[in-house]
Amino acid sequence: MRRHWSLFTTASRYALIGHARNRFAMLLVVVYIPVWIALAYLTIPDQPAPFRLRATGEVLSPPGNHLTQITGALNAVTLIAGFMMFAATFTGGRFDRRLAMAGYPRYHLVLAKLSALTLVCVAVATYATVAVGFGWPPRQPLLLAAALFCAALTYGALGVVFGSVLRREVEGMFAILMISILDVALQNPLSSSGSDSAVVQFLPTYGAVQAGMSAAFSDSPDVRGLVIQCLWLAGASAAAFLVFRRRTRNALAPRQKPWLPAPGRRGTAEKPRAPLPPAESGASAEAHGPT
Amino acid sequence: MHHSYRQHTVLRGVDLRLRPGTLAGIVGENGAGKTTLLKILSGELRPDRGSVLHHGRFGYCPQSVVLDDSFTVRQHLELFKNAFGLADLGRGEEVMEALAFTEYLDQRAGLLSGGSRQKLNLTLALMHDPDVLLLDEPYQGFDWETYLRFWELATRLRDAGRSILVVSHLAYDIDRLDLLWRLESGRLHLQERRTEAAS
Repeated sequence: MRRHWSLFTTASRYALIGHARNRFAMLLVVVYIPVWIALAYLTIPDQPAPFRLRATGEVLSPPGNHLTQITGALNAVTLIAGFMMFAATFTGGRFDRRLAMAGYPRYHLVLAKLSALTLVCVAVATYATVAVGFGWPPRQPLLLAAALFCAALTYGALGVVFGSVLRREVEGMFAILMISILDVALQNPLSSSGSDSAVVQFLPTYGAVQAGMSAAFSDSPDVRGLVIQCLWLAGASAAAFLVFRRRTRNALAPRQKPWLPAPGRRGTAEKPRAPLPPAESGASAEAHGPT
Repeated sequence: MHHSYRQHTVLRGVDLRLRPGTLAGIVGENGAGKTTLLKILSGELRPDRGSVLHHGRFGYCPQSVVLDDSFTVRQHLELFKNAFGLADLGRGEEVMEALAFTEYLDQRAGLLSGGSRQKLNLTLALMHDPDVLLLDEPYQGFDWETYLRFWELATRLRDAGRSILVVSHLAYDIDRLDLLWRLESGRLHLQERRTEAAS
């Protein structure tokens, strides 16, 4: 059990190091979220924008700029999580495969990636909720943070899927961007009357938008919205796991790959180690090379 | 082994056996299927027909360097130590020393020169002291001294009973090899090493 834990924590630590060194994503988190939310607050008129929340049937009438802040926050966290995971999966795909082929258990690797994503999403959702709270107090901040968190996590898992199946970086970026635009714009009561259409129920962040709107402007908790979002999350995570598993598979017979590498079992070989030449001896060797 | 990419047949019945204590090479022109063959041997690719059987541990050094640019050299070694289930990094450090690479331990892979990246690529394939070693163009980007060190390393490993298969598009250094095949028209042809040197 300790061995499983050690493999999982090591992989999680390295996944977090990888995210932390993605400077552009870090910059987006620190700057883009508050700038988006602040600009929505300052530039959109604060006239009431009545709409009916499908989840509870309530008619809410929040100021237009507050409404845009919530959809803006959802848009920002989903894009950041989606891009981060797409970039990590796309650039690290071959390395993950090499690690898995060397014997690193794939379940530990994928669980570590999801854990790192979860931590990132917790931080991003909390940060966005705090940024919204600077302008006005959301009625249920914890539910709002939970809605942002679930939406970010769903897009993060979609990022893993696109990072595994698409061949070019620009394809993945466009895919995430297009889905996010359709997703958020069709549900925004300010920009589209389509938010009352049944079609919106099938959009990736429908549950998070319902829960987020309810958390921001209503006192009645919309747990159903979160449940719907969790279904999307479960589907996206399962797809991410399957494509990761397929991408890191070993074509050799399974019996040749032990499920768990045990320390000392394979490394300290039964055969004596081959002595290696010291560094300074190489230059004196005779060779026939590409001169 | 047989393998095709859609209509393009690359391998038309390749059969090879690598005995312990053998330093072998496969040469062939660009696009002859050398990398496809090595990918199949390493388990990265499933052949259309045929099978691969390894005895003991094996190490694979891919043609293009496969590293994570955000990790340091030490972090790479640590991760692969866990992957291989090694008790310590002793062997990896020996390989690094043999390649004169130890001073870069705390350098991020993304900041290393091309030759140093290849040294790390090779170290990751060797650090668990594999019984069978598959090397795809292993010395690309090496300077002359490192190139010599690489061959000395390969020879020592062979002498210690390891099997090494080097794949290259160049037929240099064939006197160092015990066996040499040429991959041509999707099949392996055993070569006379001395005469090949002349060609």
